[in-house]
Amino acid sequence: MSEPVLSIRDLVVRYHGVTPARTLIDKVSLDVGKGEILGLVGESGSGKSLLCRSVMGLLPSRALKIDAGSVMLDGRDLTAIDSAEMLHVRGRKIGMIFQNPSSHLDPVMKIGEQVAEGIRFHEGATREWARSEAIRILEQVGFPDPERQYDSYPHEFSGGMRQRAMIAAALSCRPEILIADEPTTALDVTIQAQILDLLMNLRDRLGLSVILITHDLGVVAQTCDRIAVMRDGQLVEHGEKRALLADPQHEYTRMLIGSHPSLPATGEDEEPVRAAIEKKKTGALLEVDDLHVEFDIGGSIFTGGRKTFKAVKGVSLQVMPGETIGIVGESGSGKSTLARAILGLNRIASGHVAFDGVDLAQQPAKALARLRRETAMVFQDPLNALNPRYTVGDTLREVLKHNGTPSAEIPGRIRELLDLVHLDHEFAGRKPRSMSGGQCQRAGIARALAVNPRLIIADECVAALDVTIQKQIVDLFAELKERMNLTLLFIAHDLAIVRNLCERMVVMYHGEIVEEGPTDLVFARPKQAYTADLLAAVPDIDPDRPLLAPRAARPPDAA
Amino acid sequence: MSAPATTRFSPSAGLSRWLGSHLSLSIGAGILVFFVLIAIFAPLVAPYDPVLQMADVRLTGPSLAHPLGTDNFGRDMLSRLIYGTRIDLQIALIGVIFPFIIGTVLGTVAGFFGGIVDAIFMRIIDIILAFPFLVLMLAIIAILGPGLTSFYIAMALVGWVSYARLVRAQILVLKNSDYAIAAVSLGFSRTRIMFRHLLPNAIAGSLVFVMSDAVLVLLNGAAISYLGLGVQPPTAEWGIMVAEGQPFVTTAWWITLFPGLAIVVLAFGFSLLGDALGDLLGVHE
Repeated sequence: MSEPVLSIRDLVVRYHGVTPARTLIDKVSLDVGKGEILGLVGESGSGKSLLCRSVMGLLPSRALKIDAGSVMLDGRDLTAIDSAEMLHVRGRKIGMIFQNPSSHLDPVMKIGEQVAEGIRFHEGATREWARSEAIRILEQVGFPDPERQYDSYPHEFSGGMRQRAMIAAALSCRPEILIADEPTTALDVTIQAQILDLLMNLRDRLGLSVILITHDLGVVAQTCDRIAVMRDGQLVEHGEKRALLADPQHEYTRMLIGSHPSLPATGEDEEPVRAAIEKKKTGALLEVDDLHVEFDIGGSIFTGGRKTFKAVKGVSLQVMPGETIGIVGESGSGKSTLARAILGLNRIASGHVAFDGVDLAQQPAKALARLRRETAMVFQDPLNALNPRYTVGDTLREVLKHNGTPSAEIPGRIRELLDLVHLDHEFAGRKPRSMSGGQCQRAGIARALAVNPRLIIADECVAALDVTIQKQIVDLFAELKERMNLTLLFIAHDLAIVRNLCERMVVMYHGEIVEEGPTDLVFARPKQAYTADLLAAVPDIDPDRPLLAPRAARPPDAA
Repeated sequence: MSAPATTRFSPSAGLSRWLGSHLSLSIGAGILVFFVLIAIFAPLVAPYDPVLQMADVRLTGPSLAHPLGTDNFGRDMLSRLIYGTRIDLQIALIGVIFPFIIGTVLGTVAGFFGGIVDAIFMRIIDIILAFPFLVLMLAIIAILGPGLTSFYIAMALVGWVSYARLVRAQILVLKNSDYAIAAVSLGFSRTRIMFRHLLPNAIAGSLVFVMSDAVLVLLNGAAISYLGLGVQPPTAEWGIMVAEGQPFVTTAWWITLFPGLAIVVLAFGFSLLGDALGDLLGVHE
């Protein structure tokens, strides 16, 4: 490693709101070399974001204090300088970009001016010069028509372009270090690949040092030079990427790598799966035929002409009992709309949905009654999916009661359900606010199981969870599938999870199914270019399988 | 206060926040309980009959016999103030409870069903809001005839709009939350989803608003009585008492000052309670 630009020594950050003060960053020492990308990995609450905020002097609460240690930049200790001096460091020496570009860009300020603002403030440049600089930077981060796009507002851009704009703003004063806090977590895989590519490209051209905070080891493996793993405020391990991934020293790092879904499941045996699919050519549990779903988007009685947006365009799908189907696609591809239409939560414009032979359009009352009794949904945001005023027990009790369980059996059933999702019985008395994301999701699954469903639709149900928790929830689904012969429709944008859990997968794009087939086959030999792109964009944990490069074709099955 | 030795171990910031929230709760509740007790035991604590006119002690200042003085008819101010508590608490309570119930139910229904139902309710609300509040109140009371009952009816007809808008806005957000969709997908009835799932989560803001609204209603009641359309003389009510003291405000200040103070203290109690309630229900989070 070249000489460090930034070196953190024995940094301790404590929360003084409680007695005794809680230590959130515990003696972390870290160096960032020139032109290096350092990956800072850890789960939520591990202190990785806080560490970077301490470096920037942007601690989120006054009760948080840096109690010991130093952050050296250019021979100055950033923990010792006053806030006026810190202003010169922020933006000028260290730039920062965040997870959610839509909430970190000013919605009423032109994109270009948000970039030019820093140039004018830090360099005292004239308006014209700042404008031409900003246009140059916008071009650098990949805006196709920067002259015109300078005058556009954030809402006119997609998430990926907004993230580019934020990178442009962070780069406006040519900082030496860029801190990127989960910059791609909110983006689709293909966009994520583009943004990561841009970051690496900028590093090469500008000699930038980048601290990349992420929870995704795949992202780190693809982009970083060195990796630092954090847990509970401590740096558990750090080192060169390949060495660390190949030979992790710490137990926790091994667990993180083990949880990463891109690793192919060991001892894969494809024969039973194939056989199972052959066997199930009997009556379908769910049949979707040429389904169209439309939404009204504006157009009023005065302007005339209703405008509609076609979210699902002619989807046909058959789900056999006991089958696990993964529906993948980028945001806006209509996968959630499809799920809601199947459950009768969205109005169907045309086409048929039949559950267990009862058609939703022809016999709506009967079909809805059956759907409500025999299907259940698991949601993306576990905290929002549970009524915050109900305890887990209340939630389950309500469902059980509604489905006619005799009151005497309810407490027993609640305990049974909690056992099924591996939650302690004491959780019956707890409210969602006092539970972690993973625990909430388990409670959400318990609620879904309470109706004794034949079909469960899980809509991005692990997207909001940490990787290790993700793995636990996916394992739970796999176990439940085995034990209860569940039919599962698993919607995800994370292809790797689908690959581990689902027998068959469906790829959606702009409201249509572009490809479907057995998961292994689709992964090994995607028929459509779009599917291939989607698969290639998934950051693999193996650094030698580069992003967006064609993968070596898997050897054909030894049939 | 705890001893220095133990304060070292107590969470100092948490403690002050806890006290801050519960301090306003206890003071607010204390004030309210105090007034309620006075209202209940008015005949026991009032030294005189509130409408008894004592010709020989007109417009006397505070003294031992009449701690808060007497008014121009020679009535004991303390006794009138004490009996006035009964009327004013009643005004605050009834004047708030009906608008609260009506507004909450209509707001929930409008927000949940949306579309044409929502449009109709919203236009009605717009019409009501197009008139100045007091003017509309006066018009309704003028039609119904002066008196407290008319005041309550007018409050119910006009006051619900704020609650309806408050709750509707919350319901609009909550009805798209995953737990509401989960409830739909589990086959619960609309009524159940509206009133068991959405409303309890939407109502916290309204409950806090009830407290500040009680203050406004109290002042409105006083204003209406002051204008001669609410409580009729010689009944003791704080608003009337202020009005009656107005001609003598330069010579006999006690007639207006003490009922005015009573209104302020009760209003203060309500708003403290509202603040504490907001903290407890997590409205400010």
